[in-house]
Amino acid sequence: MTTKDIGPKNPVQKSADATIDYVDERSGVKTGTRWFLFRNIPEGTSWYQTLGFTAMVVFGMQAITGIILAMYYVPDTRGGAYESIQRITEEVTWGWLVRGMHKWGASVMIIVVFLHMARVFIWGAYKYPRELTWVTGAFLLLLTMFMGLTGYLLVWDQKAYWATVVAVNIFASAPIVGPYIGDILRAGPEFGPATLSRFYSIHMLVIPGAIATFIGLHLYFIVRLGISEPPWSKRRLRIERDEEDARREAARERAKALPGAVTYPATWPVKAEEGVR
Amino acid sequence: MKPADKKAYDKDYALAKKTGKPFFPYAIFKDTIVAGLTIVGIIVLAIVVKVEVGEPVNAATTDFVPRPEWYFYFAFELLKIFANQDVLTPVIMATFMVPNILIILLVVWPFIDRGPERRIWKRPFAMGMIVLVTGFLCYTTYLGAKTPAGVSSQGLPVSGLDEAGTAGMQVFMDNGCGSCHMVAGVGAPGPGPDLTNFGSKGWDEAKQIAWLKAPNPPMPSYASLPPADLEALATFVNGLGTKYK
Repeated sequence: MTTKDIGPKNPVQKSADATIDYVDERSGVKTGTRWFLFRNIPEGTSWYQTLGFTAMVVFGMQAITGIILAMYYVPDTRGGAYESIQRITEEVTWGWLVRGMHKWGASVMIIVVFLHMARVFIWGAYKYPRELTWVTGAFLLLLTMFMGLTGYLLVWDQKAYWATVVAVNIFASAPIVGPYIGDILRAGPEFGPATLSRFYSIHMLVIPGAIATFIGLHLYFIVRLGISEPPWSKRRLRIERDEEDARREAARERAKALPGAVTYPATWPVKAEEGVR
Repeated sequence: MKPADKKAYDKDYALAKKTGKPFFPYAIFKDTIVAGLTIVGIIVLAIVVKVEVGEPVNAATTDFVPRPEWYFYFAFELLKIFANQDVLTPVIMATFMVPNILIILLVVWPFIDRGPERRIWKRPFAMGMIVLVTGFLCYTTYLGAKTPAGVSSQGLPVSGLDEAGTAGMQVFMDNGCGSCHMVAGVGAPGPGPDLTNFGSKGWDEAKQIAWLKAPNPPMPSYASLPPADLEALATFVNGLGTKYK
């Protein structure tokens, strides 16, 4: 920092500055923060563009509530899984709330991610240069849905069990690779204790890791390429109006230049004008 | 997009950025409000609509209602749509072709639609696509939500039942077959096919039992049923529409 030294500093602030400088010298954290937080975004950035951040925050909430649930959950089919869910819901302090938030959070996350995607689609924000941002986002949507699928089984009640049996059968019905995918998901040819452990580890290790990685990539692309501008931002509309005016003006000028052509309408398209000339 | 269009876009965007405002605090302010309201909404939902503990898993009694979370209803409805068609292999169409085509379209869409135009009213094809897909998803989700949860305890309007047929119908109902199959208008219209006229296929008992033990997905296996129940069930299903109408 190049602030002007106008007097003796508070020693606490002095040492804090020294610490930040020490860390920055080695990590570039100041540059990084400036790059991330103090980058410029287009003037017209709208409320519709808050959905991506919201999806990320809901994911964070799912991670926190999920960690709390994992402290009490026992992924054992032989007396444990179902009973621990029962205990979380009925005995553990605030357990019903944490589980409720995790369950509702899943539904809300699907909705928010879908709305975010719809916004990007409607605005054409996936176009050059943001194609890869879209691709990473599409994978995030698929991962979120897969999260819902694997989490559904963990409560280990009748509904969850049979719905997941059907879902895994659906995966297994794919040609050629289907049976292998089925075996991988079930951890064998039959549904059983190993299946639950597998879904548990996929749900809380594999997919969260993948989602975190893709969020990182997604954010990197967003910061690098910049957030898209609404197609109807004031600036864009002004430019379009100016372009339109210039086109009309040009047409009028050309019409004047042609002898006896004053009857041409003022809005005569430029292309047609060129043909006449 | 042509190189000239790319250049024009880059130039235009650089200008938008230059005349813009910093991400912090302007965008963060809006983001925090919307995200905060969403979290509050989730907490309110969790308090108002409390989570329940369902029945414990019992893999032996297959009296189940296979209903996924609501965001998979559309896939479930796809199964139903294709269940009663004899074109191709229905399950492959519903569970493999259609979803995978949708997924591939989703991922590669920016490489299909590459024009420089971003204004909504100048992109009728893209807008048509999203209205179509969203409409389809909403409609199938609605259909899935409307489907009754289980119909296993209802009787079936089938006449001409002999002793074996009655026993078979009992097995059929006890095991929740009606939550996937319809018989004479009773039961869920899918994901499984309508069995009202199954007897006309002329399967023998051994074939039916082998099927029940190892059916095509997504139908689950009923190998855990006692042999007597399997026999009764096979007799009942093989007679539907012929012996038992």
